[in-house]
Amino acid sequence: MNKKSLLQKAAAAPHMVWAVLFIIAPLLFVVYYAFTDKDGNFTFSNIGELFQASYLEIFLRSLCFAFLATVICLIIAYPIAYFMTKASPKTQKILIMLVMLPQWLNFLIRTYSWMALLEDTGIINSLLGSIGIDPVHMINTSGAVILGMVYNYLPYMIIPLHSVMSKIDPRLLEAASDLGSSPFKVITGVVVPLSMSGVISGVTMVFVPSISTFYISQKLGGGNFDLIGDTIERQFQTAYNYNLGAAMSLVLMIIIMVSMAIMNKYSGEDDGGVVV
Amino acid sequence: MNEKKIIELKGVAKSFDGETILDNIDLDVHEKEFMTLLGPSGCGKTTTLRIIAGFVTPDSGEVMFDGVRINDLPPYKRSVNTVFQKYALFPHLNVYENIAFALRLKKVSEEEIYERVEEMLTMVNLKGFEKRDVNLLSGGQQQRVAIARALINKPRVLLLDEPLGALDLKLRKDMQNELKNIQRKTGITFIYVTHDQEEALSMSDTVVVMANGKIQQIGTPTDIYNEPENAFVADFIGESNIVDGVMLDDYKAKFSGHEFECLDKGFEKNEPVDVVIRPEDVDVVDVEKGMLCGVVDSVTFKGVHYEIIVTINNFKWMIQSTDYVAPSQKIGLYIEPDAIHIMKKSEYSNMFGDYSSFSDELEKLSDVTEEEE
Amino acid sequence: MKKKALGNIYTALIFIFLYMPIAVLILYSFNASNSTSTFDGFSLKWYKELFSDSATLNALKNTLLLAILSALISTIIGTMAAYGINKMKNKYVKGSTMSVTKIPMMNPEIVTGISMMLLFVFVGVMIGGKASLGFGTVLIAHITFNLPYVILSVLPKFKQMDKSLPEAALDLGCTPFQSFFKVELPQIMPGIISGLIMAFTLSLDDFVISYFTIGSGFETLPIRIYSMTKKRVTPDMYALSTLIFVSILVLLVVSNLVSDKNREKMSKKAKKITKYVVGGLFATIAIITLIVFIVSAGTKTVTLNVYNWGEYISDGSEDTYDSNSAFEEYYEKLHYEKYGEKIKVQVNYTTYASNEDLYAKLKSGASGYDVIIPSDYMIERLKADGLIQPLNLNNIPNYENIEEQFRNPFYDNDPDAKYSAMYTYGIIGIIYNKDKMDPADLEKIENGEAGWELLWDEKYAGQILQFNNARDAFGTAMYALGIDVNNATEAEWKLAFEKLKAQKPLVQSYVMDEIYNKMESGEATLAAYYAGDCLSMIANNESLGFFYPKNEEGKYVTNIFADAMCIPTGAQNKELAEAYIDFMLSEEYEAARANAEYIYYASPNKEVINNPDYIDYLEDDYDLIYDPDFGNIVIVEDENGNPVETTYIEYMFSKYAYRDMSDENRAILNSLWEELKVDSTSFGGGIYIICAVIIVGLVAFFVYKYIQIRQRRKLYWNNPVKPKQTFEFTSTMAKISVPKELRAKDDENQK
Repeated sequence: MNKKSLLQKAAAAPHMVWAVLFIIAPLLFVVYYAFTDKDGNFTFSNIGELFQASYLEIFLRSLCFAFLATVICLIIAYPIAYFMTKASPKTQKILIMLVMLPQWLNFLIRTYSWMALLEDTGIINSLLGSIGIDPVHMINTSGAVILGMVYNYLPYMIIPLHSVMSKIDPRLLEAASDLGSSPFKVITGVVVPLSMSGVISGVTMVFVPSISTFYISQKLGGGNFDLIGDTIERQFQTAYNYNLGAAMSLVLMIIIMVSMAIMNKYSGEDDGGVVV
Repeated sequence: MNEKKIIELKGVAKSFDGETILDNIDLDVHEKEFMTLLGPSGCGKTTTLRIIAGFVTPDSGEVMFDGVRINDLPPYKRSVNTVFQKYALFPHLNVYENIAFALRLKKVSEEEIYERVEEMLTMVNLKGFEKRDVNLLSGGQQQRVAIARALINKPRVLLLDEPLGALDLKLRKDMQNELKNIQRKTGITFIYVTHDQEEALSMSDTVVVMANGKIQQIGTPTDIYNEPENAFVADFIGESNIVDGVMLDDYKAKFSGHEFECLDKGFEKNEPVDVVIRPEDVDVVDVEKGMLCGVVDSVTFKGVHYEIIVTINNFKWMIQSTDYVAPSQKIGLYIEPDAIHIMKKSEYSNMFGDYSSFSDELEKLSDVTEEEE
Repeated sequence: MKKKALGNIYTALIFIFLYMPIAVLILYSFNASNSTSTFDGFSLKWYKELFSDSATLNALKNTLLLAILSALISTIIGTMAAYGINKMKNKYVKGSTMSVTKIPMMNPEIVTGISMMLLFVFVGVMIGGKASLGFGTVLIAHITFNLPYVILSVLPKFKQMDKSLPEAALDLGCTPFQSFFKVELPQIMPGIISGLIMAFTLSLDDFVISYFTIGSGFETLPIRIYSMTKKRVTPDMYALSTLIFVSILVLLVVSNLVSDKNREKMSKKAKKITKYVVGGLFATIAIITLIVFIVSAGTKTVTLNVYNWGEYISDGSEDTYDSNSAFEEYYEKLHYEKYGEKIKVQVNYTTYASNEDLYAKLKSGASGYDVIIPSDYMIERLKADGLIQPLNLNNIPNYENIEEQFRNPFYDNDPDAKYSAMYTYGIIGIIYNKDKMDPADLEKIENGEAGWELLWDEKYAGQILQFNNARDAFGTAMYALGIDVNNATEAEWKLAFEKLKAQKPLVQSYVMDEIYNKMESGEATLAAYYAGDCLSMIANNESLGFFYPKNEEGKYVTNIFADAMCIPTGAQNKELAEAYIDFMLSEEYEAARANAEYIYYASPNKEVINNPDYIDYLEDDYDLIYDPDFGNIVIVEDENGNPVETTYIEYMFSKYAYRDMSDENRAILNSLWEELKVDSTSFGGGIYIICAVIIVGLVAFFVYKYIQIRQRRKLYWNNPVKPKQTFEFTSTMAKISVPKELRAKDDENQK
């Protein structure tokens, strides 16, 4: 028995060592760099620098963009996830597959191909032009950046929503209808509250990558809308200011933790189940 | 009994994926009636219920409510409520909110909701459970919540889909009584679906026996038990010995090589018929006094009585008797004329064998294992 | 039915949205030209191109290798961990282990990426490694972010497993070992497989984490795509994506057909066969990977890590000369002749977009590059920081091919130690789209009167591109203002900043190599950029034009720069690096001329500029690249104020080339640049208002709901008022069902 339990403990050991070395230690380094200057002396100046109006605006803007992208994803994904549950199991399987299929292509190249669509001389505008509509300026706008976020992360909203909804007992919907709920009331009174856990994991899975993205804003925003991700990336890849970059990352983590905490607090129970 | 029809099904048919579930059903439900749809699984009883509730639209035929066609009326506009199999309580609401659900939709004032929910809770003996999470209730308690939830809307008709199926035996008996009480007190028409014949017989005013998407017989529990219309009903309701016989004349039947007096008439002369004799209606007598005689195969003690299997002309009869007989003993059987029930031959004739050692279910099990090999 | 149709239309619209970019991508993979904005006819040439694009194929191979390895390792560690975690009895240990496990899943990728980068760089510097980032670090990073997904897909299987199963196995005579493999493992297998597949796909698709943890000499497909999207994505990348897409589609369809239709009908034998086939397939892939490893380990492979600007070498695309593979061949032969040993040379060629990117990479100590090609002022800085080493000119005989006047440039004029060999030089000019310009401005350009002010012309608002790098962007403002770029005071820096800030509302976007796509497609009208790149763009779009900005005196006022090949300190193979530099300067092997023709920058190589084929090839561009005025003799004052004769080009270098800056100035530049970038004059407040409205709406809704629930609960939640205990169902039922007026009457009657 003793030997066996030792074996069982040993089974998790490689992972635990790995986690300490490559999950916890790197995060400690982020904290270390955030509170030191170039020579390794302790300082608050990196964090202090972030309280400049311009950085505050970047944080606010990133929050706004990510928030809007998340809301739009939720609004788009909710009905489609619901329609999907109404299909036959076989059709559902195919639809899920179709939702995930684009994710198999590299997101960089898909975003790049959006550029070709959205440009002033791009495909959408030439199509519009051929039916006599003046070109619409789309690329390098905040709308284009949000569109890029919605496009890239929409499947991460649809899938958890669908998987939670498909687990709702159909008799609960019948019961609601039987007790006098119109189809709309069935959705607001039963489907929505019962799919809350899917909403939460979907929102998490869209919000976190949206707030930290840097590629989408670079390509579809033309570098005009710096987000947190862009600024962090610049500190590490161009400006060679690891300390400021680490401080920003630290603040980003805190923002995300706070956002998630607020959401979890006000939307009832959550088992944090992330569905992939 | 109130003669006013509340629900009428006229020639209702339904099939799924080419498989006929309901085959031209005609059914009248009267006000304040406790009607039970009884039948084995897959007989179409639940589909009938769902058609009445509005979850299923029939392929053809008419569903009438108070004389008005309601085929296309969605469920939420029907004054019919359902108690679901396994209850279908809303897991995100507590007991109080579950029961109040229907009233909230009608924008009833909070005070009235409170009054009525409390009333319902009193009725189903759940006072003090308001704040409870429904997921943490026992099966019987969930059942009561489901009933209260369906009744608070004061439906004209309450549909119950095998509501007691998940409860243990003792609790089921209690709930049967309670349901019957509630039905009597409220005067609401109950349509009750079950596959448990005992439940059907003990609770209902009217029993509808269904099989293969057809109604086999409609009648009071006594009628159904004593005067089964065909071999299926006879076999499904209670224990019965179904033997092939010939109607020699009015009040005279012949089976198992013996002529019997009986109370049935109106058959053609020498018409082949099915004869039903309930095991408790056969008396065990000495060989000389018996109308039939046979050898005892086995005897099982059942508490109230002994269950005796007797072979007569290669047919195994079941007899229930309070007197013990020994296996291999030769005994005589005596049958009163009123114990004999004669039925016309039907598609179900000869489908139900004698009391050999295996039940149907066991035979089916052995089939499956063969397939899997 | 109507509702269903509506739902179907909606679903269809969403799928169109999801697949639109993919359709575009597939369409343009069949484009006859290399444009990604206009379709010029059907052709399969990009598919052909793909299979001769060794860099892309190599990246594909790397990506697969990385994905397979990281998926396998993380599956093994993860499955063991799931087993251990499931058996943990202490709630706190279990809980905290799970929380830590989930961190990489919950954390933004960029944070995971930079945190690991910081760790690797720090440790690398501590143990004094030269190249702390590389294949190993990416592998570790991938395993780390794969682990939680594997654990979370295996753990539930352990939890679901009937606890008495292993006991039953032991009871029936299994040893614990057998019981694990014969009973427990088959139960959790579906979890392991889905974890493995998930890890594989995650790793395959990862960009962000690889981007921060990757080092020299190893490029995954996403990283390659990223560096390509900086300039322009050649359609062979579209072709590759199309192939990937189609093969996945086929795979999914086939597996679906097999699982749906046949599985039921399939006999046991057939099932077994499928099992073996699938197993065999996996085994084959594993074996092939192994063989590739062993084979590549068999012949000695020497790798050379070259880090260069994007599209800054003739790379063999569209049937051009492939400089890198020519070098590989050349050196393999050379080595064999010299030492009689067969080796394989592999050039790992990766690209950067700015000098500062290069500096950040080198400074982190994480690079491991052998040859780099920085610009003048960066060479000064790298030299000062000790990040590059002197060349051994004996190993670079073709150094002699560099023109006399370029052998002692200001950034490398120590006669005893040469750190660099000039690769190209060029001038920043202004590129414009003739079709979109005001004719008056076009005339000015014709007459050589146009200057920097064009980039501040409000006529072209939203049509102007500006450099996305601090030095060049501030350069444009300083040249426009007439400020000396190398001796600016702090006040002058501020002035330039204000100038750029004023330009920001007019700027369409801040770009580096993205300019290619934007100018060629006509998306933008005006931009300042490097001459060679401008000429490349003009070659692709004839409505583009180009000029060097002049001041009132008719003198060029613009940046001139030189890019030169250097060898970083700590290069792994200096001899090979020098051979590479020598090769790129050689006349004999055509590399120098092919590169010059490909990139359109001015070559300092006399063998190239005097080559008649080259002159023919460039036609009119020759005079633009090698302005005849450059050779003119001008009189300038030396440091003592005495007039000296010098060539015009040398004068330009001394006056307008960027010099390395002091740390203070760099700090000023960086902070002003940050301020400019994060400043968002072009960004309307609309988004904030929408956000605020939604948030206020949500808060109001939740507050309303909260109050409503409180109201409802007031009646029954605490100390419920006892209702009438007597049960009179029928009477109250009747009461409620009749309208109020009638009810009143009813009550009266009862009285």
